[in-house]
Amino acid sequence: MTIEWVHPGLLLIAGAWILPLLKGRIKRTAMVILPVAALVDCLLMTPGTYGVTNFLGQDLVFGRVDKLSLIFSYVFSLMSVLGMIYALHVDDNSQHVAALTYVGGALGVTFAGDFLSLYIFWELMAISSALLVLLRREAPAVAAGFRYLLVHIFGGLLLLAGILLHWSQTGSLAFGDMAAYSGGMAWGLILAAFLLNAAVPPLGAWLPDAYPEATVTGAVFMTAFTTKSAVYVLIRGYAGTELLVWLGAAMAIYGVVYAVLENDARRLLAYHIISQVGYMVCGVGIGTALATNGATAHAFAHILYKALLFMGAGAVLQMTGLRKLSEMGGLYKSMPITLGLYMIGGFAISAVPLFSGFVSKSMVVAAAGEDHRAAIFLMLTLASAGTFLHTGLKLPYYMFFGRDSGQSGKEPPANMLVAMGLAAVACIVIGVFPGILYAHLPNPVEFVPYTLQHVTSTLGMLAFTALGFFLLLKQLDPVPTVSLDTDWFYRRGAAWLSKLVRGPLSRLEYGFVGQIYESVIRQPVLGVANLFRKIDSFVVDSALVGVGRSTQNFSRVLRTAVSGNAQHYGLIMAAGILAMLLLAAFIK
Amino acid sequence: MNFLQKQLEDPVRFRLIKRGFYAGLVLVALAEIVLPLIFQGNESHFSFENFPAWGSVYGLISCVAIIVISKLIGKLWLMRREDYYDD
Repeated sequence: MTIEWVHPGLLLIAGAWILPLLKGRIKRTAMVILPVAALVDCLLMTPGTYGVTNFLGQDLVFGRVDKLSLIFSYVFSLMSVLGMIYALHVDDNSQHVAALTYVGGALGVTFAGDFLSLYIFWELMAISSALLVLLRREAPAVAAGFRYLLVHIFGGLLLLAGILLHWSQTGSLAFGDMAAYSGGMAWGLILAAFLLNAAVPPLGAWLPDAYPEATVTGAVFMTAFTTKSAVYVLIRGYAGTELLVWLGAAMAIYGVVYAVLENDARRLLAYHIISQVGYMVCGVGIGTALATNGATAHAFAHILYKALLFMGAGAVLQMTGLRKLSEMGGLYKSMPITLGLYMIGGFAISAVPLFSGFVSKSMVVAAAGEDHRAAIFLMLTLASAGTFLHTGLKLPYYMFFGRDSGQSGKEPPANMLVAMGLAAVACIVIGVFPGILYAHLPNPVEFVPYTLQHVTSTLGMLAFTALGFFLLLKQLDPVPTVSLDTDWFYRRGAAWLSKLVRGPLSRLEYGFVGQIYESVIRQPVLGVANLFRKIDSFVVDSALVGVGRSTQNFSRVLRTAVSGNAQHYGLIMAAGILAMLLLAAFIK
Repeated sequence: MNFLQKQLEDPVRFRLIKRGFYAGLVLVALAEIVLPLIFQGNESHFSFENFPAWGSVYGLISCVAIIVISKLIGKLWLMRREDYYDD
């Protein structure tokens, strides 16, 4: 029997459990071989439908392999290779198992051709990624991990409700373009679940809440899979949904605004994930061939440069213990390699020519242009300036340059630098040879990123953003604050709710509801009970007492007869016999 | 002392870097105005893109707008003490 198709996700999910059994060098080798095997598995796949199983009369499709799922599977498995190399030094099996399961879940979502298998892998991702936060094992991380888990359970329930409704209405579990059901309840519930995972405001506050609290290596994994698998399912089901155009563009700016206020290095980067995913969501919404290609290409490039940025910030956190920009500064002296590699990621996200972001982001912006959407075009370009401002200028300035904090770190372990180096190479290769990426995009579209106008206007925009940065540098000095986001509703709002419950609501309970209870239920019940008690004491009791009394009286009468004297008893017996004889004589 | 340190801690070299930056700005803005005139070919989608040095101008406006408006929103509304969620 030949094995037709091996699910790369299953390879990782099952393979992860070998790691705890291994030790030392063999374990580290296995940690790299597993994701490499998944990558090779994806690269060898040919389009088709595989892994179809029948369940409850429905076909579950575990292997829908086409151009769209293939390119996402390439970048997901490539990312898992980089992530595992970055985590090689970590001696915590639980983290490795959770990370590989998480990647496996993302690959499962990518290849799922029906809603039920999609849902299973969706939930698997939520749980395994929550573990990557919880396994930091510090109080704030555990709290953030539980909030993260609760939000994603909520999202999972929305998805499940949508799926069941869709199933009951259409009789099919197949997952494809949802445009035909546009505006329906099932359509909306599934869309809301997808948007929650894509971190679209107001459903996206879980991302900057949880990612900065995750383990150094876990956060690198988290940046890649949850939001980008959500982008994938949005492309699959919701391409051309007008709402997404505006949500995406607003989201791109929202992330930038919060990044201005942010002091925590990894939280600043987390807000830029939201901003960057905004471009993809916007591209999905525009929905033309160029736009969905752009969303796909940007997801691909984004996963690699964002991982590189998180690896850089993670390296600083690990080597210095610092996470706040207001406490860093001057690290360029002790961590120049980390700085150099971080900057490659910074240039890539800022769409500097010859770096990956330039060839991917411009597809989405050009798609907005081709679609004659001037407002969207201007919003996305503005957000680009903001991206360079924070990720390319503010964060490296305060982290590595700026006021010398006197803190000094060392370069991180070699495996972390190797992972960062590989990610950096990927960012540059995609930027210099965009054809490699474009060849695998889902739609056949001719797009030339390196035109004179595009290069000069991008350089102009970046250069003058830098000028603005240095002019307003004083304004940007990081201040130790936190910013309100929609997580307020379940962090502070919930506390207010419990205060409301304990204060006015409880007074209402004891006062109003309690009074009604008193007069409608308690008083009548007590009255009836009282009546029964009276009946009990006067009738039942007196009957019992009466029987007792009459018995007593009767026995008092008897006592006069029962004297205890043998002569009296003999006399009574003789009288009795006499009476019997008289009776016998009369009857005869 | 690494290469970067040498460049940044020597005031003479630092001044050179600063001047280089300003020269770069002028060069980039000029390139944006002049090059399209020499090499014909317009791929603008909107008329505002034909404004001279559009990228540079919009880049500066965007940068300043983002900083000023975000700080304003932050100070008036969003920013809270670090221990805001702690009690």
